[in-house]
Amino acid sequence: MLALAAWATAAGAAALVVKVARPDGSPVAGAVVLLHGPPGSKPPAPAAFVVDQVNQTFTPDLIVIPVGSTVTFPNSDKVSHQVYSFSPTKRFQLPLYRGTPYPPVTFANSGIVTLGCNIHDDMIAYVVVTDAGWFGRTAQDGSWTASNLPAGDFRVEVWHPRMREATDAIVRPLRLDAALSARVDVQLTRSLRPEPLGVKPRSWSDY
Amino acid sequence: MRAVFATTLALLALPASADGHLDLSVDLRLIGADSRTSWLDDGLGKLRFDENHDGLQVGRLRAAWNQAFGETLNLRIDASLWRFSDHHAFDLTEAYLEYRPYPNAGWRSRVKLGAFYSPISFEHRAGGWTNPYLISSSAINTWVGDELRTIGAEYSLEWLGTRLGHDFDLGLVAAVYGWNDPAGVLMASRGWTLHDRQTTLFDKVGQPGIWPVPGRVLFKEIDQRPGYYYGAQLRYLDRVELRYLHYDNRADPERFDPGINDFAWLTYFDSVGLRVETVNGWTLIAQWLGGETAIEPESGYEEWKYSAKFALVSKAIGRHRISLRADWFDTDHYQTSFPPGDTETGSAWTAGYSYARDDHWGFAIEALQVKSDVTSRARIGEAPNATERQLQLQLRYAR
Repeated sequence: MLALAAWATAAGAAALVVKVARPDGSPVAGAVVLLHGPPGSKPPAPAAFVVDQVNQTFTPDLIVIPVGSTVTFPNSDKVSHQVYSFSPTKRFQLPLYRGTPYPPVTFANSGIVTLGCNIHDDMIAYVVVTDAGWFGRTAQDGSWTASNLPAGDFRVEVWHPRMREATDAIVRPLRLDAALSARVDVQLTRSLRPEPLGVKPRSWSDY
Repeated sequence: MRAVFATTLALLALPASADGHLDLSVDLRLIGADSRTSWLDDGLGKLRFDENHDGLQVGRLRAAWNQAFGETLNLRIDASLWRFSDHHAFDLTEAYLEYRPYPNAGWRSRVKLGAFYSPISFEHRAGGWTNPYLISSSAINTWVGDELRTIGAEYSLEWLGTRLGHDFDLGLVAAVYGWNDPAGVLMASRGWTLHDRQTTLFDKVGQPGIWPVPGRVLFKEIDQRPGYYYGAQLRYLDRVELRYLHYDNRADPERFDPGINDFAWLTYFDSVGLRVETVNGWTLIAQWLGGETAIEPESGYEEWKYSAKFALVSKAIGRHRISLRADWFDTDHYQTSFPPGDTETGSAWTAGYSYARDDHWGFAIEALQVKSDVTSRARIGEAPNATERQLQLQLRYAR
């Protein structure tokens, strides 16, 4: 479902609020929102990111990064980890021994990369690599806001790691006029998957 | 099996990387029991610690070594002491090499080579095949620890659907093994039991030369016929796991090994298990196992049918855990000659509380009551019906 509303802003530039809700209308926090701008709008410059391993958990467990960015995977645990991705966007395998630094991994293509640990199957994390000009994650109230947007044709993409929609991401076209604010309401058609149960005790193994 | 041991030692001699890990643990018990004489001490009691073992006892002393060789090869060696007077007091429960390559396009293979547990139990998920829910295992998985070990090779293939945006993971497993021909002799001679002891690879179980369970060698190749098992696993997110296993040691029941004074027991069974976990700390485990074991001495074919089931409910509240389990079990002995064979029926309740102070110290208390009707008890001058009770306090330290 999609609802669009537009109203005048005080400033000259356009602004956008994206609100993501569950089928029952309650807000979805932590949803990834990618806003692709009109032709000619430039994506943010690549940057360096860090995903640490703390208490057998990827920390943070989701990052959104511009195409060409690097991610370093340190290991703050006493145990080893083996980070992998078999996502077509970026395939890699990285053994992380205690206290041994590893070179950063470069993410050159846009897409969603699912990270796992070959030793600890409960560990899961996501790297969303994007060429979108604006991006972020929804707050507790399910909303994400962008301001100082140019006028033109946009595309809003919404994705959540626990989403069960028929498509990988929900995509909405959007036209923004100068000095107007718009609001995009995205309501999921299916409930989210339940949250992971969390870290198992360190002494547990798999039999 | 000596070859397995020699390979293990040879691998240990390889230059080890920094990624070796030693686990040591001490588990002491305070026991109060009202029971028949334990099956470990020439009786037909169902417990590990009978009323002659009240007071302070060693639960388990364990040393385990985990050594990585490169990224995908791992050696695991687990050794334990369960009782100082055992034939081999400190001995291996498992020793195997695991090859675990990185998954590729959602598929992951795994190969195990050596001596290890088959994927049957949903109770035993802590290191050293330890049950974190209760001190004593269900009848089913007590038997697994008593008589079964895969000494051979296992291949498993997993489809990691949850990494591909699906709700399910799927797994298939198959193994070929030897040295498990005596499996079934304990089921036939003493039936189901409930405890936490695991038979070690080179040990003998029970008092030597005393009926009904003389010092038994449980891991021996008698007929040169390898056994197999295959199974499947379905996992819904990290909430629900369902397992099936079919086991058949393909033993030749006519073969007798005078060296260990035992037959090759033809043992096969099916097992189905379910584990459900919720976000607020509840765990439910249910399992059923049913099968047969048989020998064929000159006096004729003898067969024992056995089945058991249990349901366990556990609730974790922070570092505290309370668990309750109900077990039901039976065995039936059929023989071609007169008289009719023995039967056993029984049920048990086990309730426990445990507290994990930190990664090192743990405390647990468990009350167990098992009622059983075992007709063969008449032959050792006991009433067939027995209600046995046991209270255990456990203090654990691990490093």
